[in-house]
Amino acid sequence: MDNRTPGPPVAGLVDPAHPPSRRAPLRWAIGGVIPWLLLAAGQAVWLEFDKRMPWLHILLGVVTALGALISLAVVPMWRYRVHRWEIGPQAVYTRTGWLVQERRIAPISRVQTVDTYRGPLDQLFGLANVTVTTASSAGAVHIVALDVDVADHVVAQLTDIAAIGAEDAT
Amino acid sequence: MTIAAGPPQIAWQRLSPRMLLVHPVHELLRELPWLIGAIVLGSTTGNQSWTVAVLAYTVVIGVARWYTTSYRIDADPQSGQLQLRAGLLQRKVLSVPLNRIRSVQSDARLLHRLMGLAVVRVNTGQEAKGENGSGVFELNAVLAGEVPRLRAILLADSAQQVDAPTAEPSAAGAVLARWQPSWLRYSPLSVSGLLSLAAAAGVVYESGFVGPLQHSRLAESALAAAQRLGTASTVEIVGGVILLASVLLAVLRSLLTYGNLVLLRQADVLHLRHGLLRLRERAYDMSRLRGGTLRQPLLVRVFGGARLDAVMTGVHGAGEASVLLPPCPVSTAESVLIELVGDRDVVTGPLRGHGRRAATRRWTRALGLPVVIGVALALMSLVAGKSVVPLWVWSAWIAVTAWCALLAADRVSALGHRVHDGWLVIRAGSVERRRDCLATAGIISWTVRQSPFQRRARVATLVAATAAGVKRYPLIDVPEDLVWAVAAEVSPWVAESIWAVR
Repeated sequence: MDNRTPGPPVAGLVDPAHPPSRRAPLRWAIGGVIPWLLLAAGQAVWLEFDKRMPWLHILLGVVTALGALISLAVVPMWRYRVHRWEIGPQAVYTRTGWLVQERRIAPISRVQTVDTYRGPLDQLFGLANVTVTTASSAGAVHIVALDVDVADHVVAQLTDIAAIGAEDAT
Repeated sequence: MTIAAGPPQIAWQRLSPRMLLVHPVHELLRELPWLIGAIVLGSTTGNQSWTVAVLAYTVVIGVARWYTTSYRIDADPQSGQLQLRAGLLQRKVLSVPLNRIRSVQSDARLLHRLMGLAVVRVNTGQEAKGENGSGVFELNAVLAGEVPRLRAILLADSAQQVDAPTAEPSAAGAVLARWQPSWLRYSPLSVSGLLSLAAAAGVVYESGFVGPLQHSRLAESALAAAQRLGTASTVEIVGGVILLASVLLAVLRSLLTYGNLVLLRQADVLHLRHGLLRLRERAYDMSRLRGGTLRQPLLVRVFGGARLDAVMTGVHGAGEASVLLPPCPVSTAESVLIELVGDRDVVTGPLRGHGRRAATRRWTRALGLPVVIGVALALMSLVAGKSVVPLWVWSAWIAVTAWCALLAADRVSALGHRVHDGWLVIRAGSVERRRDCLATAGIISWTVRQSPFQRRARVATLVAATAAGVKRYPLIDVPEDLVWAVAAEVSPWVAESIWAVR
């Protein structure tokens, strides 16, 4: 099908080079622990009004504490070790996730839009997320938790390369 | 059609004036609950002015809708667009550039057909949700005779672009498939009959016929008969009647929707026409075709049937919009797909399996739960004595386990892929088996996804993302060391990227 690259078959892809921002684990920890804190607050209110079934309170308390601990101590570092991104001359390549891990590669010639998104927590920690969309709704590449200046650089670089090829990109 | 150069002062056109007759009737049908309510109210209060008011309201709305709706087409090749002006209180103008139009379909319900009209729907393939659904643009309605001319104008622009990796166009107007009465044999076992039966039952309940029926002589005699027969045989009889009715309804529905189906190809446009009462016509621009999917639901596959879906950009990949052929003999579906794809091996050729570890995962996933349940049952009968678990539970367990084992074996035999001369073929599934044939040029990006279990089994799911069809086409449980080789074989740019290891 492809006569241009007669070389040996591809054995694999090396991981992309760049980690996210050093502040990313902190942001993930805060973002991950907030739902658990809300849950704990709800349980405290419940305990205040209804002291029957102490075993249920203890069980739920233990589950909440475990969840908070995992989302605070385990998940952020795990994600930091997994998350990588890199922009090559022709493609964007990312590795994301923690329990379920994903690698996604998209050619820059098919990029349609490049967006940055900064939520409240991202702004607090000086972070930004870059989303590179393609014509496929299943093919958007997300580069999360970058330092703001790095994100700006990424956007500029991507729009520069993408502007060269102006096709329909479907 | 006059081509306007410069200032687009093209006159706005009204929809067919015959809609003055159709609209009020459709409005009446839509407002039927209100109308019934008004009649009931009128007959109880002895004042029929309510009925008259509701009737007048619907008729006025119908007329006003025709009066306020108009459209115009600017057929300029560069800046041409289709504009629709509508709205009674809230005026709005919808514009679609002609070069964004992906498919044009026409739809004529019974009343439209009697009046010689057809609704023209224009699909722009916009994923963003528009104000009226997802990028769908509707002219309701124009003269049926106008439709081919409109379609030619609307699709003129996109038909000129030839960048698709499809086969050379064959002779003009070649018929690819024509409906056969034998196709009806695949419809009895579909769920649609049961669904329409449930819908009919719902309507009967809603309409309030059940109340009087409960005390009628018919219901009483039925109850007496049921008591005479006993519970078991009553259930059997009722079940049998429901089954028979649903089979009949499914066959009837299939006949009405797909009877007289014709799929033909004129140069670069694919025409699909079907429907005995409600006539539907679709025109697909072949340059948007990125492949096809042979779908074989278990009950259709058992009888040697298959369905065919188009994989196109701008056409929703699932549901009615993408249907090319309803359940029909596999050979028919395959030959049509071969015609579209232009390569027999893509459609019928053997596939490369995903290896032993993928097979093991199919087995563990299918048999995991039954084995756990079986062990639990065995422990219960060991600990608490044999009488705890009755015999029928064991026989049910054996049946379920056997079914799961068959399912796993079938899934293992289905799983596979093939990269062949510009095409990626993916096959998977048992209850919903599908064989996706995708043009590699249409594949945009690649995702390799691994759950912890997949990491331990050293397999990964490779997902091809396209702008066409269902967008996401997964290759399940490809061996870890082969995933990128497959991706690189399909998309040379993966092999040329700076991360590739040879």
